[in-house]
Amino acid sequence: MSDANRTAGLRTGRLIDRRQLKRLGVYVALYGTALLFLAPYAWMISTSLKPESEVFSLVPHWIPSEVTVKWYAQVLAEAPIFQWLINTTLIATATTVIVVIVDSMIAFSLTKFDWPGRKAVFALIMASFMVPIYVNMVPLYTLISDLGLLNSPLAVILPFSAFPLGVFLFVQFFDGLPDEVIEAALIDGFSSFQIYTRIVLPLMKPAMASLSLFTFVYTWNQFLWPLIVLQGSETFTLPVGVVTAATARTFQPGLEMAATFLAALPLFLVFLVLQEQIVKAVQMQGTTG
Amino acid sequence: MSTIEKVRAAQSSLVERNISRETRDGILFALPYLALFSVFLLYPLFKGLYMSFLDWNSFQPSQSTFIWFENYIRMFQDPMFWSSLRATVVFVVLTVPTLVVLGLALALGVNRQIKGKRLLRLIYFSPYVLTVSIVSLIWRELYSPDYGPLNYYLGFFLQDPPAWLNSFTWAMPAVALATIWWTVGFNFVILLAARQGVSPRLYEAARIDGASSWRAFKDITLPQMRPAIVFVTIVQFITSFQVFGQVFIMTEGGPGNSTQSLVMYLYRIAFAEGQFGYASAIGYFLFLVLVVISIINFKVAGDSTNE
Repeated sequence: MSDANRTAGLRTGRLIDRRQLKRLGVYVALYGTALLFLAPYAWMISTSLKPESEVFSLVPHWIPSEVTVKWYAQVLAEAPIFQWLINTTLIATATTVIVVIVDSMIAFSLTKFDWPGRKAVFALIMASFMVPIYVNMVPLYTLISDLGLLNSPLAVILPFSAFPLGVFLFVQFFDGLPDEVIEAALIDGFSSFQIYTRIVLPLMKPAMASLSLFTFVYTWNQFLWPLIVLQGSETFTLPVGVVTAATARTFQPGLEMAATFLAALPLFLVFLVLQEQIVKAVQMQGTTG
Repeated sequence: MSTIEKVRAAQSSLVERNISRETRDGILFALPYLALFSVFLLYPLFKGLYMSFLDWNSFQPSQSTFIWFENYIRMFQDPMFWSSLRATVVFVVLTVPTLVVLGLALALGVNRQIKGKRLLRLIYFSPYVLTVSIVSLIWRELYSPDYGPLNYYLGFFLQDPPAWLNSFTWAMPAVALATIWWTVGFNFVILLAARQGVSPRLYEAARIDGASSWRAFKDITLPQMRPAIVFVTIVQFITSFQVFGQVFIMTEGGPGNSTQSLVMYLYRIAFAEGQFGYASAIGYFLFLVLVVISIINFKVAGDSTNE
């Protein structure tokens, strides 16, 4: 595309040129950014498979000249990664189940029942949205400690089950559920509990799926609170464990990246399979907020 | 009593029974969450306020003495508190605008007619599902001044590339950059959904009117996406203000406390030094600051949507 071409080009031709140039620019920007986004993953994987000499090489070796699994063997031998995986799965699953059940119940109550104090309760829950983790960190720790729950999975499960986000999301969904459906069921002689289990829950499946995924990922990834209340290596979650595994011993990037890769793998596989739903779950927050 | 009256009476008692049943069932359904909420959220909130007035005795908490506002006074005189507040504000300033603008740019880019939308979305969003530990450990490697790839490539352009996490000037920007990689996907997918929700008819009308693409962006895209932009900005602000994991793992607050955030300082005061009373006071003060800022935020956002 020479200057002569450009000036000689017809008016329309020039427009197309310009548009194509712009299109090219968009592609370069988007795919260039994508490449930069992938680089940290590549470095993690490459470092975890490199022999020591290349780990500390001054020239980056993105592709190891020789692949070694010794860092993985060492991590698996030294750190109870499987125990951490089980702990994390247990905590994230239990929290998710509790959140979906109790949050959908109270949202049902707040939107479809009229009882004294309902509005005040709802306002209180909404206001508590703003309570940041650091305000409650210390008093919650003393409470968990008084209850004898330190080092127990419940120390993480119970406080995270009290988060108000799910209530807020469910209330949005229940608001859209027509009252006639429930009135009709009442006339048919359904009890409130039957309405909840047979009518409301089936209709709420998409909302419940989204909230479950979001709660699961959110709880799985928590760092600060589990770091505070889980103090024995056997009780760690993956996010806490991987840091101690990586920093406790002499500094070994290969070992560190192998531990990181193993810790990232389970949830990343879940993400690859369920990416549509996870993205939707996040987007749901934006549209309801 | 006539039949009609009997039926009426029966009906009204039925209605009354229903009302009381409604109240009873409503409360029953609300109870499980309310129990968790009261014990693990409300109660600590009040206990924390009380603790902030105590000189906490970690060996015998019941022996703690009530000292009124001394913890708060101490906080205002504590240089470490101010330095961690400063570090937090720097982090907020470095991350919030970048995350919102970059998220918006990526969303508008992917919304165009391009090939590989799904792949791009997957790549941009993927770091968001990682935990902070993983992000921090990977970036610590990337930033290594000795064998990290970043400084190797920067070495071609710069005589003396920054020492990143070991540098007073560059440690916080380095933490911010890692955070941007980690969480921009959240803003990106929310803004993408918001952009896809804007009716194409608006743009068609603008094109017929001969509006430039800049005008269309300014007069259609931005106003239509405003609620989503306000939402991600507020969420981002609150999240960035509470930064902990990244600095805790990547720098441990260093060099020389230059990256020690407020939550990290609070964590140290509470769990390394056992000063629960003082830690509660810091937590409470910050909570009030955040409430005030959020109210202003919501007011500003609310006013502009009314326009």
